[in-house]
Amino acid sequence: MEVLTGIGPYLFPAVLLAVPIYAYRRGVPVYETFLKGAGEGLRLAAETLPYLVAVFAAVSCVRGSGALDYLSSALAWLLKPLGIPADVVPLIVIRPVSGSAALAVTGEILRAHGPDSPVGILASILQGATDTTFFVVTIYFSRVKTRNSRRALLACLVGDAFGFLAGYILWRAMAG
Amino acid sequence: MDVHWAYAFCMDLVWVFMVAAGSLTAFLTGRAQAMTSSVLDGVAQAIGVGIGLAGMFSLWMGVERLAEESGLVDMLSRYARPVLKILFPHLRPSGNALSSAAGSVLSNVLGLSSATPLGLKAMSEIEEELGQGSRGVDSMSTLVILNAAGFCLFPSTIIALRAASGSRVPALIAGPCAAAGLAATLGGLIAYRALKKLER
Repeated sequence: MEVLTGIGPYLFPAVLLAVPIYAYRRGVPVYETFLKGAGEGLRLAAETLPYLVAVFAAVSCVRGSGALDYLSSALAWLLKPLGIPADVVPLIVIRPVSGSAALAVTGEILRAHGPDSPVGILASILQGATDTTFFVVTIYFSRVKTRNSRRALLACLVGDAFGFLAGYILWRAMAG
Repeated sequence: MDVHWAYAFCMDLVWVFMVAAGSLTAFLTGRAQAMTSSVLDGVAQAIGVGIGLAGMFSLWMGVERLAEESGLVDMLSRYARPVLKILFPHLRPSGNALSSAAGSVLSNVLGLSSATPLGLKAMSEIEEELGQGSRGVDSMSTLVILNAAGFCLFPSTIIALRAASGSRVPALIAGPCAAAGLAATLGGLIAYRALKKLER
């Protein structure tokens, strides 16, 4: 477990060490190229804002009204024995459907519970366990004439379930 | 089957359900005031998190541009080819399709946003090379499964989100995410084979 959680913090400095030096040696105008990409990043963040507002509003509705508490007591027979917090249920539902919405749901969980709390860490892992299945299947198959995408979609959803399960088991292992 | 329709329908349903269930509960339990302040607080914080994300997105996409324009991504995807050859046995080893597929999968592994454009290019090239028969569909599905599982060694977006939310250890989850992504990838590939056997 220590290997898995210990490697993360080194990735960032490793990338910042390797990429700019490599680009400089290959004669890329480093600063200018960086600025171009950084501009794109800002646009991407701006495009994410409406999703954040929509999802934070919806999740705040169920949280502030107490509906989430009712949901978790209704699902307690299922969630309690497994030790799954009710807060991550919406995330599991939305993750394969919309990437931006899932990111926003994770953001809301991190805000409400803290990013380094057990629930916050579980939400982060589930967010990263898989990509947006419906988006990928739709967009990718829209490029080709083949309409034979049903088997791929089913396989991807099974894969999502495997990813969530693995993420959950690792989270339990991290908690000890 | 139109997957896009299912996608829009699902998001509509989830959003309406959450907002309506919350409001109804507030009415029935007399927590209207609590809900109102929770929502107002929530949307204000949504913008706060968005601003935090902007810094990290901006930095990361800048670095990503450097990796692309210096040819680093191309160089690394050449190393990824032997693995890709095993996953795409029907594709020509030196063809365009395999090279785009390698680039796309590698972009995913590194958490780069070039994964989607390269993946779309690879889809067209696979269809060109193998046609719409079973070998073509298998190769296209493999690519879709790899990218939908999104096995990633550097989950830049979640790290950014965690940093924006004030985490002391934003990258802590990189290892577990990679392991879970690997499980999703293998699960998807195995499920595809199993479904194919079942349908015969």
